[in-house]
Amino acid sequence: MEITVVTVIVLLIGCISLEYVDTRSKGRGRGSMWWGIAKAGEPNNLSPLSPGVLYMDSSVHGTLRKKQRRLARENPGVLVAVAKGANQAIHECQYQFRNRRWNCSTRNFLRGKNLFGKIVDRGCRETAFIYAITSAAVTHAVARACSEGAIETCNCDYSHHKSRPRISGNTAVAGVRDWEWGGCSDNIRFGFKFSREFVDTGERNRNLREKMNLHNNEAGRMHVQSQMRQECKCHGMSGSCTVKTCWMRLPPFRVIGDNLKDRFDGASRVMVSNVGNSHNNNAHNNKYNKSNNIISNSIHNRREGKGRKHKYGFQLKPYNPEHKPPGPKDLVYYEPSPGFCERNPKLGIQGTHGRQCNDTSIGVDGCDLMCCGRGYRTQMVDVVERCNCTFHWCCEVKCEVCRTKKTVHTCL
Amino acid sequence: MPGTILENLSGRKLSILVAILLICQITCFLIGGFIAPSPAGSQSILSTVCLDEEPNKFHEQDRWLTKECKSIDLANEQAAVGLNASNFVFVAKMPLYGMDFSRWQQNLVGVLQIDMLYKSGQSINSVIELTLDSKLAFRSKWDSENKWTYLSSSQEKRTVECMLLEDKEPKDKYPYSCSTVPLFELGSLHHDYYLLNMRLPVDDKGMNVDLGFIHDIYLNIIHMNGGFTKVWLSLKTVFFPVLIAIMVWFWRRVHMLARTPALLEYLLLIVGVTLAFLNVPLEFLTLHFNMPYMLLLGDIRQGVFYAALLSFWIIFAGEHMLIKETPHKNSLRVYWMHLSGILVGCLSLLIFDLCERGVQLYNPFYSIWVTPIGTNLALSFIILAGISAGIYFIFLCYMIWKAFKNISIKKSVLPSMSTVRRLHYEGIIYRFNFLMLATVVCAAVTIISFILSQIAEGQNKWDENMELEVSSALFTGVYGMWNIYIFAMLVLYAPSHKQWPTDTICGDNGEEVEFSRLPTDPCPNEISSLTSFASKVSMD
Repeated sequence: MEITVVTVIVLLIGCISLEYVDTRSKGRGRGSMWWGIAKAGEPNNLSPLSPGVLYMDSSVHGTLRKKQRRLARENPGVLVAVAKGANQAIHECQYQFRNRRWNCSTRNFLRGKNLFGKIVDRGCRETAFIYAITSAAVTHAVARACSEGAIETCNCDYSHHKSRPRISGNTAVAGVRDWEWGGCSDNIRFGFKFSREFVDTGERNRNLREKMNLHNNEAGRMHVQSQMRQECKCHGMSGSCTVKTCWMRLPPFRVIGDNLKDRFDGASRVMVSNVGNSHNNNAHNNKYNKSNNIISNSIHNRREGKGRKHKYGFQLKPYNPEHKPPGPKDLVYYEPSPGFCERNPKLGIQGTHGRQCNDTSIGVDGCDLMCCGRGYRTQMVDVVERCNCTFHWCCEVKCEVCRTKKTVHTCL
Repeated sequence: MPGTILENLSGRKLSILVAILLICQITCFLIGGFIAPSPAGSQSILSTVCLDEEPNKFHEQDRWLTKECKSIDLANEQAAVGLNASNFVFVAKMPLYGMDFSRWQQNLVGVLQIDMLYKSGQSINSVIELTLDSKLAFRSKWDSENKWTYLSSSQEKRTVECMLLEDKEPKDKYPYSCSTVPLFELGSLHHDYYLLNMRLPVDDKGMNVDLGFIHDIYLNIIHMNGGFTKVWLSLKTVFFPVLIAIMVWFWRRVHMLARTPALLEYLLLIVGVTLAFLNVPLEFLTLHFNMPYMLLLGDIRQGVFYAALLSFWIIFAGEHMLIKETPHKNSLRVYWMHLSGILVGCLSLLIFDLCERGVQLYNPFYSIWVTPIGTNLALSFIILAGISAGIYFIFLCYMIWKAFKNISIKKSVLPSMSTVRRLHYEGIIYRFNFLMLATVVCAAVTIISFILSQIAEGQNKWDENMELEVSSALFTGVYGMWNIYIFAMLVLYAPSHKQWPTDTICGDNGEEVEFSRLPTDPCPNEISSLTSFASKVSMD
């Protein structure tokens, strides 16, 4: 007992000192502190109709950067959505990585700490996935909240007809006029724009790490976008297709998680390119920009138009020159992942001791790989669980209770 | 049909006229492309799941659940313990974001999108029959927040097709991909806010039995865009008086002749009248009155115009066959067979429309497509209309082919004819070719624009930089084109007259050649008219 306490304390001190050094030296991960919002104030208990509550919470306040606070203030209701998104990202990450050595564990929320632990300080694959999935989740959650009507500001303001000069002064009247004239645009677009503003706040494209974060954040959003499905309805003469209206359908988040996991497996390692934001690779740059078209039309189009291009219009160079340069939907990293086998307090890795494994699998969840060759303990356990369930809308799950003997393998 | 203005118009004047019409046409395209927004807009509304603690009171007309209800999180299985399907009411308030509907937005279509998740142990049916218990209410901007007024309610069946994504083996909580479900169609958007309360009840008889675990229900609403309605109505308001003026002018001209109007002249007038009926900007009334029948009326107006136009084409081809056969050529009775195709087609479409949109006047949730009998009925009407359209086109092609054949025969013997006779036939051929050209161009533009609009709608509209609103441009363009087509027909096919200022050479009392009774001994007057034509031809 005492020993554990001591280790925990040592661990904490180690972490704190490391964090201290880290933030001082590189300032990395500061743009990602908002992840902490997931654990703050238990947003599930908050009604989406009282958006002010979360904002007031000081623990939330501490996780946000100045700009993020401003965004939250200007878009009431958005913080609840961001918090939901962050939770969704954590659940999805833990689901996707349930069978791997690194299982996306999160730490108890402590102020000034990163939610996913020190792994985020490394520019490795896992970090790439975390950034992508959180960015995607914010996009998804904000778009969903818009459809719910929970965010008032995702209305017609940023929609079509940007050429039409907005009558300055009474924006509310202008908004109503716009809505009457041409309807409201997609919520999903607002989700993208908001995610760009909110998630990418801390990253300024100054070094490779920030480029990596920006790229992965973009990749997450691109996955949301590419998974959208179009639905159409004909409502012309006699219901014929002389008039057809289409809209985009938000994909289920599980699909995005699956796709990002695939990209994780095939992530590209990149390196510092001397050329920086150069225009050497023009053809590719153009292509990249084109596919990012929607995003380049940002909320603050006029003001940040130039800087934005600068921020996103870069091309990372593959580590292995034989490989293709990473595409907009690929995840990128530049450091090899640390071993996740042993507990590593410096990186906040818990190790695979005590994890369950599958002795028949030859994959990452197999006992050989999972336990890193340390061997495993096998136990027979009596399990009582629900089985042969049949589901009936709405609330009826008829199950049998099965009593089975299960063999459980646990890593030493 | 006697000699028309078209034949007697000089080449220069004709080209000026055509140029003016083309400019009008291009203006119509540009108005749609640069001023109007897209024809219709949509909104996806995520419904709130409300706990209805007194489900047996669901059908009460003054009891409405709003977003401020006790909401349930469907993902939380614990929350649903002990509840019944009737306790879950999906609530959607239209529109979102504190906006309110404008009457310019004309009508409202609601489409459901049900996101389901797979639960292990669930049977996977690809076709699921839904039973939806739904009711609609409305509220005015000036009413208090909770004063919802009953609009309509119904219990309807729908089918939805679902499949698991990418044929993966079913895993717990993996999403289904389901088709959308049309829910309601409101012919008038008279009120400011609408509220939908809907539930998916279950009973012992297998109602909603195949339904999976519902994650979210989205209600997608489609309305016309106010801006598009405004542009559209302005076009109508411009076209309508112009058309009336041209028709009055045309009919006066016909009556000035010392003969009874020819069949084609009657027909041109009828086409003009139906177009005027289509052009009346009746929609202005919807800004003040609640007119849910506007959708149906709009369909009927379009249908009547198409029927008249199609009849005009076939009779025009028939009248230009250049066969002098019967004395009663100048009557509709000759064309009964050709016209019956149009009649049957239009009637079956009308009946179908009355069955669908007519019933929707009383029950906006109604759809003919949901029951097997209804589907068969609707399909049979549509197939009947399709068959008659096919028959019509075969007839039309046959008659045009025959006319062209006659024309080529006549053309080969033209040099051997007397001058008068030759000029007469040349006039007819010229008229016929002109209309054929104009019609083919218009029809081709219509078909191409229809295809283009399908493509324009189908592609992702992520490209914000595109300023041109393609589908609106095509709508206004095609609409303008048919108006201009009819204008041109009325003007150019009006009987040429002695008072026609261009025909100065024509002589003071130049009378026209009657097509059906071609005089073999031409009087001097006719000669003067025809020589003028001849001189014009030689000048060209």
